[in-house]
Amino acid sequence: MPQRVLLIEDDHDLGRQIVERLRRAGYDALWWTQGRELESTRVPEVDLVVLDLMLPGVPGFELLEQLRSRSEVPVLVLSARNDTGDKIRALKLGADDYMTKPFWPEELLERVKARLRRPALQRDDGIRVGGLLIDPSARQVRLDGQLVALTPVELDILLVLARRRGMAVTRKQLADQVLGAADDRALDAHVSRVRKKLAPRKVIETVWGIGYRIAEDDG
Amino acid sequence: MKLRLRIAAATVAATVPMVIALVIADARARQHAAEQELYRFTSERLEDPGERERCERGQLSHEGPRDAAGPGRGPPPHRGPPDGPPPPPPGEGPPPERMRQGPDDRFGRHREPARLYGYDAQGRAIDADAPVLAAAEIAGLADAAMVSRSTLWNAGEVEIVLRAPWPGSRCAIVVARGTKEPWLGAILPPTRVWLAPIAVVLLAVVLAVGPFVRRIRRLTTAVERQAAAGYAEGEAPRPSGGDEVDALARAFAAAGREVQAQLAAKDRRERALREFLDDTTHDVMIPLTVLQGHLATLRDGGTDAPLDRATLGAAMQESHYIGSLLHNLAIAAKLDTERPELQRAPVDLGALVERVAARHRPISAQLGVALEHTVPEPPRWAHADVTLLEQALGNLVYNAIRHNRAGGHVAVFVDDVAPDRFVLHVLDDGPGIAAAELDAVRERGVRGDAARTRGTGGRGLGLDIATRVCELHGYALRMAAASGGGLHVEVEGPRIEPGR
Repeated sequence: MPQRVLLIEDDHDLGRQIVERLRRAGYDALWWTQGRELESTRVPEVDLVVLDLMLPGVPGFELLEQLRSRSEVPVLVLSARNDTGDKIRALKLGADDYMTKPFWPEELLERVKARLRRPALQRDDGIRVGGLLIDPSARQVRLDGQLVALTPVELDILLVLARRRGMAVTRKQLADQVLGAADDRALDAHVSRVRKKLAPRKVIETVWGIGYRIAEDDG
Repeated sequence: MKLRLRIAAATVAATVPMVIALVIADARARQHAAEQELYRFTSERLEDPGERERCERGQLSHEGPRDAAGPGRGPPPHRGPPDGPPPPPPGEGPPPERMRQGPDDRFGRHREPARLYGYDAQGRAIDADAPVLAAAEIAGLADAAMVSRSTLWNAGEVEIVLRAPWPGSRCAIVVARGTKEPWLGAILPPTRVWLAPIAVVLLAVVLAVGPFVRRIRRLTTAVERQAAAGYAEGEAPRPSGGDEVDALARAFAAAGREVQAQLAAKDRRERALREFLDDTTHDVMIPLTVLQGHLATLRDGGTDAPLDRATLGAAMQESHYIGSLLHNLAIAAKLDTERPELQRAPVDLGALVERVAARHRPISAQLGVALEHTVPEPPRWAHADVTLLEQALGNLVYNAIRHNRAGGHVAVFVDDVAPDRFVLHVLDDGPGIAAAELDAVRERGVRGDAARTRGTGGRGLGLDIATRVCELHGYALRMAAASGGGLHVEVEGPRIEPGR
């Protein structure tokens, strides 16, 4: 079932564009062209609200307050004013994130996706990623069902990256966590050995300027 | 009402009722004293032998005017010096001897002798010309030795009713008519010299108010002139002493200075706003024109033409540039004020990096530059103005992307240098900045007009804003050549614990 997004935006052109984009990205988009009193309206059952602050009818801040008093739904605030006071106020009223206009459609989708990202399921049998099954308690890694023999440091590297999969980990942080010291060259050597052991699968990506990453499974 | 008139009226309003009250009290006291004297005199007179018979014959009041001792019958009235001894308090009266010897002391100005009239017990007059007695007056004698018949305002005369001292006589009641002091003398001095101080006080009040009124008028004129001159310098009222009028003048002068300062600040703001609008218009028109050119090129390709990706990309870049420029200009206007204000609050640096990365990923993808980012775990917090810091970091990232080439990389991430210090890194593998230019930028930043031009070397307004934002926050902004070529920019500042 697609996730539902409520867009509250008074500009028709912008609203239509956003709705169109959201639908194309597979979301079920609901669109209000003005702020409504939530006293008289039931809070719609949606997974995310995208709220423009400058609204006819009930002003954005008021709507945010009403929304927050009735629901825990994440709220992404849109504003044409790049104003710190507005941002602080919006966050205080319970907004989860904000975006300043102008923005690219991809940018909005990335923010929406980030807000709707469900925590990865931590199954009992371990972390599944890129054809790997990592069992942290048994300290075992299986690749397509076959046990892979890894040194403790190599296993730790996989564990750290797998726990933050989808996000790059800096060399420094990785080295600190698995080696207890910032030794980039030693870390690179360890990563290189892990890669060889997991070949031909390319589980560990190098992230330019930062470090390493295990990509999130698409499926 | 003018101030002087108002003060004079207030003084009169306070004085007149007091004078009237004193005059009334004086009249009461005189009447009381005169009645007591008359009673005493009459009582003594009636003790004289033969008075009973005279009364019964109706001849009590028919004796000659200067015949016997009595009020007004003595030697010619003696006028005491005006400032003679004050009259005795009412009720006490002078001793009877004095009364007998010289009633002129007390009744010195009496022209008329005291007259006595006899009545029977029913109040019927024995004398033919006796005044009529009221029943109430006869009844009043039952429990008082004397009943007054006088009125307060009857100038100079008192009348009393008393019982005759002869039991069984036809003459039972006697009415005595005497005189009293016609004008003052009981409480107030008999002469009108006491009016003089009152007049002097009135005059002094009116005179003393004069200079104040003149100074207040001068002050009014000065304040009006200052207002008419648009609160220009040198028109402020000048204080000249230390009293309340001067305090007022000083207050007006201070108010004038405040108004001047506010007007000057308003002028400055207006000028800054006008300049901002001019600059914005100028700066936005150029990329907008370029954007229009790109759009026109796309249109001229015709509907059947394959999509001109290069022109489309250029148009997207221009539009991104315009958005970034507008934000930068708005922030520059804020930073250009005399005392730029930071609205500091806890800022999640990871979220900041994510927003900046998301903002620039579309344009970096368009340019073929890989934009990488990562956020720290757990989150790192800084106490900062989130709009300014985000714009500063965005400018550094945008510069790194714009000055890179297809296939290049940009990385942005947060790191720690110490348990309580964060570093924001922006790393690229573009052409970097020439060493000499880098020194120049490091030394004085990019300022002034040079900051507004966008050229190859001119990282321009964006870098200028990043530098100034870091300065305002007290963060260190470092730029160095990256190890693999390109530029490595670091922003270092203190971390805070979340929840603060």
